Amino acid sequence: MAKTQSRQQEKIQPPMTPMIDIVFQLLIFFLLIPSQAGEAYLTTNLPKTQGPLAGKKQTFVKHVEIELRVPEEDNKDVDIVLKKMDKEVGFGRNFEGLLGALQNLRAEGLPPDYPVRISPWMACRHKWVVRAFDMAVAARFTKIHFAVPYI
Amino acid sequence: MAKTRESAVSGAVSFNMTPLIDIVLLLLIFFILTTQFSQLEIEPVTLPVSFAAKPKQVSEYNNVVINLVNPDAPKCKVMGQQVDYLVREGDNELSAMLKDFKGDKEGRLLNVILRADEMIPYEAVASVMLSVAKAEIEGWWITTEIREQEDILGG
Repeated sequence: MAKTQSRQQEKIQPPMTPMIDIVFQLLIFFLLIPSQAGEAYLTTNLPKTQGPLAGKKQTFVKHVEIELRVPEEDNKDVDIVLKKMDKEVGFGRNFEGLLGALQNLRAEGLPPDYPVRISPWMACRHKWVVRAFDMAVAARFTKIHFAVPYI
Repeated sequence: MAKTRESAVSGAVSFNMTPLIDIVLLLLIFFILTTQFSQLEIEPVTLPVSFAAKPKQVSEYNNVVINLVNPDAPKCKVMGQQVDYLVREGDNELSAMLKDFKGDKEGRLLNVILRADEMIPYEAVASVMLSVAKAEIEGWWITTEIREQEDILGG
């Protein structure tokens, strides 16, 4: 009888150790998930695959074209050809030069919404395409799109 | 006096765990609520750098992340699964998958976020762009690492 009383007086303590183990595991998992800090986004219009423009090359009567040529498959450099109305107006391997040429076109009176098409060769690295996009934005062009060769 | 000493000596030393557990649980809830689960969809890639990109324009919801990895033999991965993205007549696996996602969203805007390695050839990026366009998705974003203009142009 006395024993039963002492049992009743004892505190009921569930085992905390497994719970703490799991909680710490979860905490470490959430701490170690890769962070996307420092990342940012670019956006452009996608080509039309439905409607009247489907399957047709998007053509603009007036446009500036930045062609990115890759001389060799694994070449680290890229040849940049700048065209206005299909006429070559600049050539080089330097993106600063491209920026200067685009700024000149703006200074000559091209409006910000003048279409700019970036036409990379198929082997052109993604980083050069993004760099060309950057230069067009830095020259304050707003209507920038990528050429997609399949349609 | 003697009683106090005796009990102090004979009593087992125990830490008070309650505040520790409180804090750990609070931290856990904080991390669960602030973590974007879309981050689980990302593959480790070297992103291209950009100064024109904007840091926060994409909604944290309704996003599909497309990873383009392995520049030598590009592979397209969505939620850890490798999918076919090569252009062909009709839908490829990627555009069919995106159409399904779009159907599940019942008319809400679906964002497609491309995470491509900086050395991926444009051919792969163009194929993905076309697959996304075939699924009639308009929210299209290219992920970059953000830098200052001076860092990229070197002065």
